[in-house]
Amino acid sequence: MKAFWEGKKFGHAETTPVPSAFHTAVRALVKRRLMESGADWGSFVFGSSYDLITQKDFEVIESDLLASGYRFDVSATVSAKEAPEKYKPLRGQDEYEIASEAVDGKLKVGQGDNVVAYPHNVVGVARYVHTADDVIQLMINGVPEDTIAIIDDSGGTLTAPILESFKAVVCMGGTVRSHLGILTREFGIPCLMNAKVSGIKNGDRLELNTSTSAKTAHDYQSGVEKPAEVWKLV
Amino acid sequence: MTSDAVTYRQLLETNNALQVLSDEIGWLCVTRTTQESKLFPLAYMLLSFFNAYYRYPTLLRKIEARMSAEECGDRARNMGAKTTLLNMGWCMPGYYINGRELLINMGLVRPEDAVEDLMYVIDFWRRFQLAYHRNDGHLMTREFGHRSQVQPERQLQIFEADALPVVAGDPLHTAAVRFMATISQFSFLSHCECRMGICNEGPYKFGGDREMLVRDFVDLSQCDFPWLDGVADDIPYNNLTMPIVVKDTHFYLVDDWGSFESKPEFRAESIVAIGLYTSDPLTDGYIPVSMNDAAELTATFNKLQDLFANATARLWERFAKWSRSEMIEAGALVYYNAPALLAHIAGVYDQSDWMEIDDRARRFVPLLNDEYGRDCLTEMLGPVSLPSQQAHDYVMSMHSNRPHRIYSPIPYGVLATGDYTRTSGPLFPGSSILGAKSGKWRTSKGLLDQDAYNQAAQAFTPSACNDENRFLDDYWLNYHHAEPAAQELYRHAQRQSRVLSGRGASLTRADIERGLAGR
Repeated sequence: MKAFWEGKKFGHAETTPVPSAFHTAVRALVKRRLMESGADWGSFVFGSSYDLITQKDFEVIESDLLASGYRFDVSATVSAKEAPEKYKPLRGQDEYEIASEAVDGKLKVGQGDNVVAYPHNVVGVARYVHTADDVIQLMINGVPEDTIAIIDDSGGTLTAPILESFKAVVCMGGTVRSHLGILTREFGIPCLMNAKVSGIKNGDRLELNTSTSAKTAHDYQSGVEKPAEVWKLV
Repeated sequence: MTSDAVTYRQLLETNNALQVLSDEIGWLCVTRTTQESKLFPLAYMLLSFFNAYYRYPTLLRKIEARMSAEECGDRARNMGAKTTLLNMGWCMPGYYINGRELLINMGLVRPEDAVEDLMYVIDFWRRFQLAYHRNDGHLMTREFGHRSQVQPERQLQIFEADALPVVAGDPLHTAAVRFMATISQFSFLSHCECRMGICNEGPYKFGGDREMLVRDFVDLSQCDFPWLDGVADDIPYNNLTMPIVVKDTHFYLVDDWGSFESKPEFRAESIVAIGLYTSDPLTDGYIPVSMNDAAELTATFNKLQDLFANATARLWERFAKWSRSEMIEAGALVYYNAPALLAHIAGVYDQSDWMEIDDRARRFVPLLNDEYGRDCLTEMLGPVSLPSQQAHDYVMSMHSNRPHRIYSPIPYGVLATGDYTRTSGPLFPGSSILGAKSGKWRTSKGLLDQDAYNQAAQAFTPSACNDENRFLDDYWLNYHHAEPAAQELYRHAQRQSRVLSGRGASLTRADIERGLAGR
């Protein structure tokens, strides 16, 4: 028996490893269970398949991939915290290399997409905020004055209780239309999204080019780059 | 083929909708990139798509047994609640067809399966949308060049006349801007990182280089979400609408996700007038909140600001203690719940319908690790690289010129072969690991339990939607504004207006702006 997807004329397999592995395994499972059941597709698809394709099957599919030595990329801190055996360690903060030399006491250490063009650049002190535990510490101890938060979470929830206290934000993901971009605009906090930074340590004094023009939806759609610089003041 | 077989026309209309939605989601996604959150594992989106696929057809039919999609759209047009551009304009059909596309790629359904369900979901959406958007005459904002003008003239006149003037730095401006930021932040958090609690609609043209944007903030107090019980109990409104009037700023884009862009970029300093209203399925239109004068509204914004800031901190602490499973489930239910207000409007809401995961969807939880969630969403909505999405090599899709389409059409070959299935079947049992809802529903009639809310909704028809008024639209009024029916419709809408009470239907925008200039 040939499954409906077999011999498909157009296209290719999934291009990323986990969807490819999971979907391939589920498709094979569906074919196997259909054949074992002896049912036709019409009675299987919204009938017997509900009993024959179960949560236990999907647990086995996940286990098989992990047994091969594969470990998943992590996004949410709770995922790695609860099941560290399934996930790679969280990504480090300095993966992007941006080479430059200091000019007039300013060393370019990154760039991003400006959310709103303000009349002046913003100057402040770098502080990384990676996890909920970082946020809790800042809630307990207070956010230091002039903090430029460097965040790798483009969502608006991780820093929700303390966002208003930041002088500026550098976010290493998303776009100006991501949730954090929307929220910083609402609060009037200068923000660079989709940033690449390198060589910044907690406590460094930074200047952000938040007076340059903002990036628009049309810019993203047409591939126009409008880099707004991050400088370390040396 | 039986007499109630699928027709060519039905397939043409359904496939057109699938292609339009495909084109638009492609544009919406290319301007954002895949969202990632450190707090919420975004694989929850996939769980919501599966749940929507298995449940929406049955639940929309349940709503429509009581109230048609068109009447739902008429009701929704007269309130700033969770029937916004985002929730109904895109999420409702989008989640269903996302689920379908994922299941096709898993080999669990074919493009020709559950054809009647798919046609019904799309048809319900189309009828709702056409009614909701009847004042601008479009199906989606994309047809309007990314613009939405849902409001009737009579409501716009009230928004304009009653808006309280502000100047950057004055107490009302300061309080309003800070409040908008705080309520936005609360909304992202209470909606588990998604934007479904915030929507922008408009713009509307005022005189003198002024435009208005209508901003809705929904599901703010005790509502369907059990995690707000005990956290948002003291927030006195479940929905708030803020008309904001800006000067020398043109909103050139308001999209189907309720986002906006403007030239020059929107800055708080450009706001020159502001209002505050509440509404829900039991209000007779928009109800002004503290709109008597600037001092009263300033005090209300400051009070609400404190309430929302405190609720944000309490909710964040609650979420920070949650397990991954709880976060996945809450996020999935926020998404899946997108059309649930229609059940409240129709008076047929059941918490087990709209806040539980169907057993058929729950099966997939073991697959929902962070990487699968990220990459599956990205493949489906970014590069459009899942196997089912690939078309023949001559195809040039709208935004990428590549041979793909996001959503698989129903093959017309089913008309030749008859080889298709009709429906995924009735609801399976559902469940939630989040625990039962302990609170009630915050409404304009007080805190109501589920049965009381349904009974009140079934017994209530807003005056704008009763048999006499429902079809008295702006174009009819253009020729009949002096007639008693038109005058009564306007006077009823104006009954709580500070400036326009009793003025009737023959006012023009110029009359209102002359009045404003004379104040």
